[in-house]
Amino acid sequence: MFSTTRALRQAAAHAERTPSIRFIGRRSIPESIDHTPRPHPASPSGQLPEGFGKNGVGFKHANFSSYRQHAQQHGPLQKTIRSSDSIGAASGSQLGAVAAPKGAFFDVSELPARFHRQPIPVAELEAVESGGASLFG
Amino acid sequence: MLCNRLLPRSTARSAFRNPSSLPVVVAPTQLSRWRRTYASASEEKDLIIIGGGVAGYVAAIKAGQEGFKVACIEKRGTLGGTCLNVGCIPSKALLNNSHIYHMIKHDTKNRGIDVGDVSLNLQQFMKAKDTAVTGLTKGVEFLLKKNGVEYIKGTGSFINEHEIKVDLNEGGERTVKGKNILIATGSEATPFPGLEIDEKRVVTSTGALSLDKVPESLVVIGGGIIGLEMGSVWSRLGSKVTVVEFLDQIGGPGMDSEVSKAAQKLLKKQGINFKLSTKVVGGDTSGDKIKLDIDAAKGGKPETIEAETVLVAIGRRPYTQGLGLENIGMELDERGRVIIDSEYRTKFPHIRCVGDVTFGPMLAHKAEEEAVAVVEYMKKGYGHVNYGCIPSVMYTHPEVAWVGQSEQDLKSQNIPYRVGNFPFSANSRAKTNLDSDGFVKMLADPETDRLLGVHIIGPNAGEMIAEATLALEYGASTEDIARTCHAHPTLAEAFKEAAMATHSLPIHM
Repeated sequence: MFSTTRALRQAAAHAERTPSIRFIGRRSIPESIDHTPRPHPASPSGQLPEGFGKNGVGFKHANFSSYRQHAQQHGPLQKTIRSSDSIGAASGSQLGAVAAPKGAFFDVSELPARFHRQPIPVAELEAVESGGASLFG
Repeated sequence: MLCNRLLPRSTARSAFRNPSSLPVVVAPTQLSRWRRTYASASEEKDLIIIGGGVAGYVAAIKAGQEGFKVACIEKRGTLGGTCLNVGCIPSKALLNNSHIYHMIKHDTKNRGIDVGDVSLNLQQFMKAKDTAVTGLTKGVEFLLKKNGVEYIKGTGSFINEHEIKVDLNEGGERTVKGKNILIATGSEATPFPGLEIDEKRVVTSTGALSLDKVPESLVVIGGGIIGLEMGSVWSRLGSKVTVVEFLDQIGGPGMDSEVSKAAQKLLKKQGINFKLSTKVVGGDTSGDKIKLDIDAAKGGKPETIEAETVLVAIGRRPYTQGLGLENIGMELDERGRVIIDSEYRTKFPHIRCVGDVTFGPMLAHKAEEEAVAVVEYMKKGYGHVNYGCIPSVMYTHPEVAWVGQSEQDLKSQNIPYRVGNFPFSANSRAKTNLDSDGFVKMLADPETDRLLGVHIIGPNAGEMIAEATLALEYGASTEDIARTCHAHPTLAEAFKEAAMATHSLPIHM
């Protein structure tokens, strides 16, 4: 080990040429990176479409209407009526089905029984009301 | 005193539901029936990968290594995608074994080896290929398991921006939800308008990998890498091969013109015919033989050629069929590629895309690089792929390989360059192997000697290009390469001598 190191030192001392490739030390992790969407290096157009990447959670929508187009709450919230239409301008068939879509329900009672609110039995009510005393009776 | 013994409401309720917290005087069997059960929410994965090809499975393994909860959806039934199943791997098995067969038949006498009757057992030939493929695809499946990746066999399609419906191969369907989704669905062979592909007589590269007999004649439409590799296989096995190419050179537009001309000359010597600057205008598959109407690319020279089998190898196109991209309004470009930014994000930042289905060359190793980088972007926020430094290899004999810029690229951009050229006919190892066709061509900046591009045609070019890629990635000068000691006698010495030729003179020429 020692002789190898010495040989390398000697070689370095006598080197009359420094290679273009140099060791630059341990790798450094960038501290801050700009994640703003930029065109992919292999993209033929070298451009991103307008509004690209603005569908993310952190994106600030310009208005509530724009937010509603993308927001989700128990399913998509997007509007079924176009903003350009006035009330009554579209026929019922254009507005889509009245029934809830597959997998969605209007009320808890329409869900399978296992999702229903379970009844609280009298014994439990009494246990709560009596601060647990009824359990010992 | 009594008040002190009363339990708060919440404690009383929980005591009611949890009998173990009660004194033994209360029989737990009576209370157990009051216990409530709750439906558990389905597990959300950190990453769902659609596609188990080279891009998909590499991303899955990397993500597993990084501690992600990963699911990889693949519909083929085996992992590895086109590359492992019907692309790079089986074609290399056929190329290697057909080369051995061809050598035994035509290149043993002058080596002092007398060989008796040699015949081809095509069934066993194909079995050897299938064994290689099966071994590798099963190996990938093991790696997924080892890294904790859930492998879902089925067809995935977007329900919404976070949920994927999977039509399971074994029947039924399932929905998976992911914080991140990676599209890695790859590409498929571009069909030729007017010729119906049946994978028997009119084949793509997939069919050309498993023909049940050696066709008497084979016309290859497209003189790119896939066409030339498969043309070589069947030519070596005895088929009369004609390559029809629209451009005026083979190997595709990326290949250096000088190398392309040399490759054409050597392949012609092996028996492959070429019709360059020629287009196929129509085809008729009704007869025993397939008739193809061809014409000069500029028109005016109509001709009809016949073949028992036609290989359509005009390129590949992104594969997004059945992916349900329309359900989420994903943006594709005019060639059907998913539009991504520099961090592989689509318009939905949590949906990323890598491999053949998006920008860049359709190469397995490029997809692998991207797969690693995209997971690094997700995990660490930065990754790296140098698109100026992706090697290309054509596995014919001799092999052709290149990386960086070609001479025509530099000319078209008015970039000054110096050329260093060294032939394998002056390389000792190539001479001893009696395999000395080809050369190494190196392009360097005339002022700094910085390496700009390397183009190799010759034995082992596909392996040698790794040294060139490393040098280019590190920004080496040709002097750095020339001053690096290369073992003797090796083919790599030709590489060193070509580097010397860019700024000085090679020794052995």
